[in-house]
Amino acid sequence: MTVYSLYVFDRTGTCLYYTEWNRKKHSDIARDEEFKLMYGMIYSIKSFVNRISPTDLKDGFLNFKTNRYKLNFYETASGMKFIMTTDLTVGNIRDVLHQIYSNIYLEYVVRNPLCELGQPISSELFHTKLDEYVRGLPIFPTRIS
Amino acid sequence: MGIFSVYIINKAGGLIYQYDHISQRPEAEKTFSYPLELVLKLVDDKIVVAFGERDGIKVGHTLLAVNGISLEGRYLQTDGQDAMEIIAAPENYPINLKFGRTRLTTNERIMLASMFHSLFAIGSQLSPEHHSSGIEVLETDGFKLQCYQTMTGIKFIVIADPKQTGVEVLLRKMYEVYSDFALKNPFYSLDMPIRCDLFDTNLQQVIETSERQGIGNV
Amino acid sequence: MGYNIGVRLIEDFLARSNVGRCNDFRETADVISKLGFKMYLGITPVVSNWSPAGDEFSLLIENNPLTDFVELPPGHSQLNFSNLLCGVIKGALEMIQMDVDVKFVQDILKGDNITEIRLKFLRRLEDAIPVGED
Repeated sequence: MTVYSLYVFDRTGTCLYYTEWNRKKHSDIARDEEFKLMYGMIYSIKSFVNRISPTDLKDGFLNFKTNRYKLNFYETASGMKFIMTTDLTVGNIRDVLHQIYSNIYLEYVVRNPLCELGQPISSELFHTKLDEYVRGLPIFPTRIS
Repeated sequence: MGIFSVYIINKAGGLIYQYDHISQRPEAEKTFSYPLELVLKLVDDKIVVAFGERDGIKVGHTLLAVNGISLEGRYLQTDGQDAMEIIAAPENYPINLKFGRTRLTTNERIMLASMFHSLFAIGSQLSPEHHSSGIEVLETDGFKLQCYQTMTGIKFIVIADPKQTGVEVLLRKMYEVYSDFALKNPFYSLDMPIRCDLFDTNLQQVIETSERQGIGNV
Repeated sequence: MGYNIGVRLIEDFLARSNVGRCNDFRETADVISKLGFKMYLGITPVVSNWSPAGDEFSLLIENNPLTDFVELPPGHSQLNFSNLLCGVIKGALEMIQMDVDVKFVQDILKGDNITEIRLKFLRRLEDAIPVGED
């Protein structure tokens, strides 16, 4: 099991935060272009899912898998989007993403008067706490290959 | 429960086949007295609920029928009257309205198919690992979508209940049916929509078999 | 000739045989002779005469079922009676993004000792490769 990367978007599509752990491949486009592409893809998937669905959805899109990785998605009611890419053996990690939102983002960004909302997060504290939390997760490999 | 619908997309992203197996789209019917508690608005020439969820009628549902007469877009199927006008006039009350999830038109399905074709490609491009395929399984709380891309680039897509098992096998079986009853039909031209009765019946058969087996496993 | 059969037959082949993508041309040669020919003609041609670069080989067919009870008519002694096979192979491989040149070199019908089909790998059709297949 392993965690590749985490994207945090606000509801306007700005990438507030990006970090990676064991990511092996980087796409051939610039970082900010990649954020736009990721946000665009998620936005489209949400609209696609809502339209193609035969029933009414509550949470909507949860995750997708390719033959190499899994993308987990969690959206708060306020439109904040947390996207974590992991390998395929990782199960449902909605609660992990929720924890990142409620315990780390809320604690160290929203309650930090120095962090301006809607701007990329530069807080060192947030970064350390997040890194600590993710590395402590059971889905994070103890031995990094 | 079971398999909701299947799509087949050619290598250029064009929809060549679509079939709805179970259409258990939620519907709600209710008789209203004047004034109407719901707020309705027009979206793409359809009448959509904008406010006032009640009795199974949800925001986003479209108006399907007025007093038992089905609607074609915003107009009555029988005499082409504008349903918005009927609802606005107090003398037409009490009135019976039927709401439900919007049915997809063929054009919308074609659009969704090509949309998935692009999402599939982006999913592969954004991969954090090398040599990733595109989206193979996509899960939501109401359904899951499973996609199988053949080596020649044709995509078979099944939309099923999240708990349905054996979809993988069904996709392979669909590929066999496609090669047996579409490709071996001399009147079928490649990459074009599949219109063939034998294909239809055989596809339905494999879907039903897989549904029975899948649910047995749950 | 046979090209359009190949274009469709490959789907049938992939749907039934469940083989993955080949890593090199040698593997492709084996799959063609041991699976493809076996499935559709019931024979297993011998793969031989590899070029040093490994991009060319021959399929040697001893008993071609297409030519049972066949004699070339007088005046057409140079006819490639089973040329259909070349088209099928070319069409099928093109659908899995391989451009190959296929031709008859020898034919028992023409008085040769063995029937030989020669395949030459030209290139991979890069732009036709579906997303996520590399």
